Amino acid sequence: MSNALTIKKETVDFVAERVKFFQGSGELVFPTNYIPENALKSAWLIMQETTNRDGKPVLESCTKDSIANSLLSMVVQGLNPDKKQCYFIAYGQKLLMQRSYFGSMVVAKSVNEDIEDIFGDVVYDGDDFEYSKVRGKNVVTRHTQKIENVNKSKIIAAYATLLYFSGKEESTIMTFEQIKQAWKQSKMNPVNDSGQVKPGSTHDKFTADMCLKTVINKACKMVINGSDDRSIVSKFANETSDSVTEASVELEISENANGDVIDIAPEFLTGEINSDIVVDHQATFTKQPPAIPAPLMDDGPGF
Amino acid sequence: MKLKILGSSSSGNCYLLQTPTGTLILECGVRFKDIQKGLCFDLASVQGCIITHEHQDHCKCVEDIMKAGIDVYTSNGTAKALGLSGHRLFTVCTGSQFTLGDFIVLPFTAEHDCSEPLGFLIKYKSTGEKLLFATDTYYIRHRFASLNYILVECNYCKDSLDANIDAGYIPQGMKNRLLRSHFSLEHVKEFLAANDMSSVHKIVLLHLSDSNSDSERMVREISELTHKEVEIADVGMTIKLELCPF
Repeated sequence: MSNALTIKKETVDFVAERVKFFQGSGELVFPTNYIPENALKSAWLIMQETTNRDGKPVLESCTKDSIANSLLSMVVQGLNPDKKQCYFIAYGQKLLMQRSYFGSMVVAKSVNEDIEDIFGDVVYDGDDFEYSKVRGKNVVTRHTQKIENVNKSKIIAAYATLLYFSGKEESTIMTFEQIKQAWKQSKMNPVNDSGQVKPGSTHDKFTADMCLKTVINKACKMVINGSDDRSIVSKFANETSDSVTEASVELEISENANGDVIDIAPEFLTGEINSDIVVDHQATFTKQPPAIPAPLMDDGPGF
Repeated sequence: MKLKILGSSSSGNCYLLQTPTGTLILECGVRFKDIQKGLCFDLASVQGCIITHEHQDHCKCVEDIMKAGIDVYTSNGTAKALGLSGHRLFTVCTGSQFTLGDFIVLPFTAEHDCSEPLGFLIKYKSTGEKLLFATDTYYIRHRFASLNYILVECNYCKDSLDANIDAGYIPQGMKNRLLRSHFSLEHVKEFLAANDMSSVHKIVLLHLSDSNSDSERMVREISELTHKEVEIADVGMTIKLELCPF
């Protein structure tokens, strides 16, 4: 049996069996239009083409356990990789399934079946935009826009609305400042020190799309993280973001920690190096030690 | 040298590095009154106060320190975040060493969730002893040569943290923050294993978490790994830092 077939047997086939078990025990019920076998087949094809940062196929560089777990997590959450609802990303030897914001929308609807639709829009300077507070939750009451307002340099906010089957609406609203702050927290950090979106970055080229993605993700996060872990879908959904954090921290540490050796330079260099130090005023750095050594509080030699 | 510990936890951090020729204050995240008492009111012996970052448990009384005529050395990011200014403030940069009386201090970048956090490599000129001070960092980018004393944060044990989360004592969000801000036992061990320990005389573990750490286990595992004397920093302790303890 070829190596690829062995991996497939130990991952895809294994996951398919697990999923059948969950279905059989009634823990997992898929929507009628979601066929787990098809999603697994698509994922397998995608994984065969997926490489890590060094260009090595993930099926060779990642552990079988992590491959199987990422597939299981995808299926349990009812995600389809063909629709870009999730991606497979290698963090060192660990392969993780990461949800896109399309995927987060699918999961939010799955963990809260009262949600009919999730949508959002970007608010530009000059738009007629109003919202009210109902029991502490935002409800967008009016948003009208003229096409000439649509200009990426005029974005002032974005919102995502959860529409329930009952007709109730709840909106998550973020000002552009809040959105930029969220972007700053990301590893990509597309915002420079002066608070401007870095020219040429994806966030600069597709500012409105990225704003929408951020606010929709936030709205879905409220639903997913707010759900209890009784359903297996919620459990896997909540674990997805946590395992991504843990794996990315581990990878960051393994790549950056304990690198070059640094040491204090011989003292005759200290003066020169000191001159580079940014100081608030032109004072010398070397303070004179007290003329009489300060007494120590014990009777020992001190050093 | 002696290390007097006035605080080493999230409720306050402050260490007095005392030598016969002067004292260096490491962090000032306790009440100024406590620092005065710790110094036995001998402020004249203080060569300066170095601060790693802007969180209050590391710099609570910085303004009192400056008012008392003590020079404060910290990064530009920390000074900005705290709104500090004045002739007692000296902003220092990663990689640029400076002299404070008999101490030479080399700041380096730490990894914490704040603006421009630092760690410090300190040399006491009179004896040539070298000490590493690294707290509130989830890893250290560098390695160090011929250290004599290592003062390093050892905040939590990964499995204790996971057990607390499973039991519902700690929210998951807290774990995600800890992972990207504080040093775990596992990563401290990796750091120590990567460094040349041949000249190290003592390792002092700082800033243990109240709920996610196990001090006995930390001392045991680090002693087994390094075969060095390991102590846990606790308020009120004075630890002797001596090359020849006899």
